[in-house]
Amino acid sequence: MTWLVLTLTLRQLLGQRRVLFLAAVAALPLVAAIIYRASSGETEAAEFAAGVVLYGLIVTVLLPLTAVLLSTAALGGEIEDGTIVYLLSKPAERWRILAGKLLAAWGATTGIVVASALVGGVVALAGEDEWAILGGFVVALAVGSLAYSSLFLMLSLFTSRALLAGISYAFIWEGVITNFAPGVQRFSIREYTASIAEAVADPAPWIFEADLGTTYSVILVAIVTALAAALAVRRLSRFELSGEA
Amino acid sequence: MSAEATATPDAAVEVIDVSRWYGNVVAVNGISFALGSGITGLLGPNGAGKTTLLNMMAGFLKPSAGDVRVLGEPAFGTPEMFRQVALVPEREAVYEFLTGYQFVLLSAQMHELPDAEEAALEAVRLVEMTDAADRATGGYSKGMKQRIKVAAALVHDPDVLLLDEPFNGMDPRQRLQMMDLLRRMATEGRTILFSSHILEEVERLSDNVLVVVAGRLAAAGDFRAIRKLMTDRPHTFTIRSSDNRALAKTLMAEESVFGTELADGTLVVRTNELGAFVLAAPRAAQSAGASLFEVRPEDESLESVFDYLVTR
Repeated sequence: MTWLVLTLTLRQLLGQRRVLFLAAVAALPLVAAIIYRASSGETEAAEFAAGVVLYGLIVTVLLPLTAVLLSTAALGGEIEDGTIVYLLSKPAERWRILAGKLLAAWGATTGIVVASALVGGVVALAGEDEWAILGGFVVALAVGSLAYSSLFLMLSLFTSRALLAGISYAFIWEGVITNFAPGVQRFSIREYTASIAEAVADPAPWIFEADLGTTYSVILVAIVTALAAALAVRRLSRFELSGEA
Repeated sequence: MSAEATATPDAAVEVIDVSRWYGNVVAVNGISFALGSGITGLLGPNGAGKTTLLNMMAGFLKPSAGDVRVLGEPAFGTPEMFRQVALVPEREAVYEFLTGYQFVLLSAQMHELPDAEEAALEAVRLVEMTDAADRATGGYSKGMKQRIKVAAALVHDPDVLLLDEPFNGMDPRQRLQMMDLLRRMATEGRTILFSSHILEEVERLSDNVLVVVAGRLAAAGDFRAIRKLMTDRPHTFTIRSSDNRALAKTLMAEESVFGTELADGTLVVRTNELGAFVLAAPRAAQSAGASLFEVRPEDESLESVFDYLVTR
């Protein structure tokens, strides 16, 4: 069942117009890297790749945007048009359906953000010996994608405005509020992702430095992912079609 | 079929004193019935609560009060029941990027059928969609989508089939074909419940009927008895003739007429025997020496028929 839901959902997601929009956004890091290479800036390539391309554009913008657009469409779209009935009217445990949805949203999100990171990172770092930073971010992006996908999938089961709620979380909470109130950085998937990238790549502090500790980030990212998935399974098990007479 | 408010041992579907409300709006109000094998029509105007009832039977809505049991198990929160139960939802949406065959095959695979391909082909054949099976469902007409939805629901050979307005969008030929299919399935011992707001559909397909109006069970049982109730209810006719006053006087002598009223150049006549009145009216006009210009039945909408059943 999980495999069938996974392949069905990937076809649903990749056939949508929002994927074209995401592809355009995913090209921005490459554009930034090309501009950097063409100009004679004073910033070191590794610092630019980590700070601007990988963290500034991909972790901060592309990752949450891709995750929210794909994860809310993965399940929310089916709830909205009523096709969810074709999945739920089967004798399958609900966690299997949710696992298929989560794997599809996670896979599609990771595919887009990692491809963008690899292309933008390779162009920015060409001729340098700092590939570890790219490896660190690729691993962190895969982990961050899973946490975001789980969270946004869960949101789409609780509200028909999951897209708005997800965008508010990613760009108002993580993007604005955490800058003004440093204590709440502890509740930010973006910061967990940055911390994991740093832990895997182990770069010199002038290249990239995360604000949160690694152990804390790994534990929190696991809790967020598991808790959101568990809540989503519970909600799907008690799922009710919205009121029509 | 019975309408007792207690559990019925051999019933495939039992609805026991069930209510469902959304906030302050009561969609279904204290309904009880039990369904055994055969076809039952769930008849009622739009907004009467038919979809809410079907969704509760399919486990997609939890009753606010009462109990819905399918094959002995509570319908809500028991996905295992879908091994023997199928629902054809009213909403048109299907996975538009899949072909008809792929859509039915997906259903067969999700049911983990041993030979999913063969089961899907057979279900597609049953609804006579073989020729269009390799086309994307996004290009299907409404009637074709209905039929492929039915094929996907039938693919695992369910004992209980719930269909929400299955004939919507079908042309007359498709409608007859689907009715034949459902009749055949019923003779094989399945329990089939379909909803409709069209009296003739229910009349042609099912002997048993549940009439739902404004969330209440207005009538349940043999269709002919309910049809008779509907026919024998008081009817009102507005008549225009060359001499309304003389006609009124003559009509009042007829046994089938129990009231006349002159108003705005028309004659309003009330009867409780439709068949007798239709024969009596021209006879009365002839003996009154009046020419009939117009005999128009009033208040013949299905809603008014349903209203009568509720208030009788």
